[in-house]
Amino acid sequence: MGRTDTAMDDLLNDFLAETAEILSDAGGAIVAWEADPADRAQLDAIFRLVHTIKGSSGFLALPRVTALAHAAEDALDQVRRGHRAADAALVSGVLAVIDRLNALCAALGQDGAEPVGDDGDVIGALAQQAAGAPAPVEVTGVRLRREEDIGADLNGWRSIRVPLPLLDSVMTGVTDIVLARNEFARMLRESGADSATIAAFERLSDSIAGMRQSVSQMRMQRIDKLFAPLPRIVRDLAQELGKKVAFQTSGGEVELDREMMENIRDPLIHIVRNAIDHGIETLDDRVAAGKDITATISVAARQSGNQIEIEVRDDGRGLSPDALVAKAIASRLLTAADARALSPREKLELIFRPGFSTAAKVTALSGRGVGMDIVKANVEKIGGIVELRNDEGRGLSILLRVPMTLTIISGLMVRAAGQYFAIPRGAVREILLESGDTVRVDRVGGSELATVRGEQFPLLRLETILGCERDSDDDADDRALVIVRPGQGQSYALSVAAIHDHEELVIKPAAPMIMATGLYAGTTLPDNGRPVLLLDVQGLLAVAGIDASEAGRSKDGLADAEADALATRNATQLLLFRDLNARVRGIRLSVIERVEDVPASALFESAGRVQAQIGEAIFPVHAAQPPAGEGNIKLLRLHDGRSVLCYPIAEVIDIVRLPDAIQPSPTPGLIAGVALIGGEPVELIDPFWLMEQQAVRSAPLPSREPLCHLADDHDGWGANFLAPILRGAGYRVTLAGEAADETPDLLLCLSDDGGVCDHAAGEVPVIRLRSSIEATAPDDQSVYRYDREALLAAMRRRVGGARP
Amino acid sequence: MMEKLYLIARIADTRVALRSRTIHSVVTVGTPVEVPAAPPHVAGLFALRSRVFTLIDPHVVIGLPAVPVVAGQRVIVIEVAEHGYALLADEIEDVCFIDAPETRIAGNLLPGWARVADAMIEHDGASLLVVDPSHLIHLPCLKAA
Repeated sequence: MGRTDTAMDDLLNDFLAETAEILSDAGGAIVAWEADPADRAQLDAIFRLVHTIKGSSGFLALPRVTALAHAAEDALDQVRRGHRAADAALVSGVLAVIDRLNALCAALGQDGAEPVGDDGDVIGALAQQAAGAPAPVEVTGVRLRREEDIGADLNGWRSIRVPLPLLDSVMTGVTDIVLARNEFARMLRESGADSATIAAFERLSDSIAGMRQSVSQMRMQRIDKLFAPLPRIVRDLAQELGKKVAFQTSGGEVELDREMMENIRDPLIHIVRNAIDHGIETLDDRVAAGKDITATISVAARQSGNQIEIEVRDDGRGLSPDALVAKAIASRLLTAADARALSPREKLELIFRPGFSTAAKVTALSGRGVGMDIVKANVEKIGGIVELRNDEGRGLSILLRVPMTLTIISGLMVRAAGQYFAIPRGAVREILLESGDTVRVDRVGGSELATVRGEQFPLLRLETILGCERDSDDDADDRALVIVRPGQGQSYALSVAAIHDHEELVIKPAAPMIMATGLYAGTTLPDNGRPVLLLDVQGLLAVAGIDASEAGRSKDGLADAEADALATRNATQLLLFRDLNARVRGIRLSVIERVEDVPASALFESAGRVQAQIGEAIFPVHAAQPPAGEGNIKLLRLHDGRSVLCYPIAEVIDIVRLPDAIQPSPTPGLIAGVALIGGEPVELIDPFWLMEQQAVRSAPLPSREPLCHLADDHDGWGANFLAPILRGAGYRVTLAGEAADETPDLLLCLSDDGGVCDHAAGEVPVIRLRSSIEATAPDDQSVYRYDREALLAAMRRRVGGARP
Repeated sequence: MMEKLYLIARIADTRVALRSRTIHSVVTVGTPVEVPAAPPHVAGLFALRSRVFTLIDPHVVIGLPAVPVVAGQRVIVIEVAEHGYALLADEIEDVCFIDAPETRIAGNLLPGWARVADAMIEHDGASLLVVDPSHLIHLPCLKAA
């Protein structure tokens, strides 16, 4: 009995560990699949994950887990067979199942038994959607599920679990073996052992090397694992906050020590949450800032010399140093006097002060009592650093640099100032003799430049950076150049007195005061038993104060990237919005000056048109009447360079690229045409027409107003009735008897005596006004004096109009 | 009892009683490996049983000029925050129990000593400064240059 229980416990523990892993993978995979439902491989992968859980849980008699997994498997299989569309509802349903499974497994881990409960809600939600789906249609060519391709991947899960401390002790043991081997090698050399002994030792040495390789691999894990939960976190948080976020990761293949990984997991999640919550603006703010409505957050990992860099970049609003200072003063972290003394960099670093939170109010989401100070402390605990790269208004990127110490690396031993130093082999691109034919060293304005086969590198002399004298024993002709590439897009030439050899090195962190120099990444003990400092190839650059960026050095590649960026910028963007009648419409983004959010009461009707008061100014609104009701209303502020028109909308939806194919409207009007966006027809607003309507009714100032002379205004009708209308329409008016210095552009003849106008003078066009509605003769060119439209039209025809 | 155990040594030209709790061992060193650009009190690195230790010159910490390391010199190995350090000693005298209580420092010490000394203790008819060796690995904060 007891035996069986133990066996069951082991099985259960294995199941829980495996399931936890699968669930964390599945969450990320599902979100990725939601973004691209056509990705068949992703769908298959998710299906297999769920299938695995179903299989193992059935064996352990966990009915709730089995039922849940079965429901999800069923729904996914429907999609695989093409009977069901992969929509957001389905994805949410599957995610709900995964959440429930997580909860169940947590309970299982605690109590050892499946808690009693009902999962009908979650399963029902999935099934319900299936019922609402269109009737299954047999689609030919869809590969049906084959048991063997499921079985094949199950082997991927064949692994055993080892407690981390055990792994650590194996690692420490192997490290000691390597060091003992090194010491032994030195003693053998010194004692002049015979070749048979040396050969035996070599064999031992090789197998130790192989073993240490395997052990370090055991501890290494692809950084993918660290990234796996992020897509889900981003999706949920973005949805909750009503933001649109595109999430990308790169460099998932970079490997990192498990322990390091554990230590940066929480900081990384916190930084990503912060980016969404505080960094990314609201949709409206993004539109107003002229940004793509979908924000981008990218997490990239790369190996940089002996360090791993993880960069979290967002294209949000960035940090405002002044706002940070104001916040710090408000929360009494800083006095105003201290604040003035801060450099811009120090202002940014205020976010690392304990008790500082950048959000005006701590939200429930990212303000979980964890601040950037904790993030920084956690990263520094493992010898890493946190760097901020702020581009105010355009985004923030937070860089975590974690050392690869406590690991064994392949190092290049070099000599300078009579002493050996190690350079991580991974950062070395090429080794050259300084006096070689392919190398040219130039002195340019006090610094040195190495040109290798046409490529230029800034040249650093190791002795100079370290502040040592050159060793007089070193032969200047033997000096070597090591082309170092400390990170992506950076390279420089490091001049050393000599190259020694390559060695497998166990790297240990150096004492803090040595690390603080920024020159060293750790210490190591090579075969000769004398400690050697490992150079920090990135830190050397910083200490030397040299810009080693390759940008601008090699021209090709860069030009392409710029052309691409230009093309993207030139692509016409369309703002999708929902109008007040809940129709989705689009308008070119470039004509929108900004999006205003005003209370409905700011809109009023005046002189037959709706206007909006925004701040101190009043703008015309394209609307038949002011909106009824309370609340806020959004206004698209259109600007044609001269005048402004507001267009009321219900909400901003998205910014998309304007499709090439647009079906134009047959007649000019508010709608310029229809385009298909995301498979849906969307009416495109014609800003030209809108502005045209607006221009006819309002009055921007023309450069010169035409002069109109009223002749024969005997009864004052012209001065009292007509002149104000004309002035309002943009004409200057002179009356009979007023001396005019300039020739009028137009003569209006008010005498009603049969077409004779004795004031006609040369080239000046004349319009005669009559007092009867009916024209007196068929060829009568006169205009009825109360026909405002006809009169203004006639005047426009004669002088080109006071305004378009 | 460990609290009563002291290492009597002459470091930085002064006889002191070092609390033994933090002391690992006392060893001799060969020629250390220099650390270019390191702070002045770092006298170099040396290896001991496949571990690398940072050699500290207490003279500099106290504010005296540095002394050259001679081969075979004895050092006091200590561990602070999981890093191994070795303090250069002018002379190692003895390890002994001192029953006398630690007393408040009387008199005006040189600033360098005032910073690192915790108390005084009476031993063999002489007053010794009681020093926690971990205080000797950090330089005082440098005054603004």
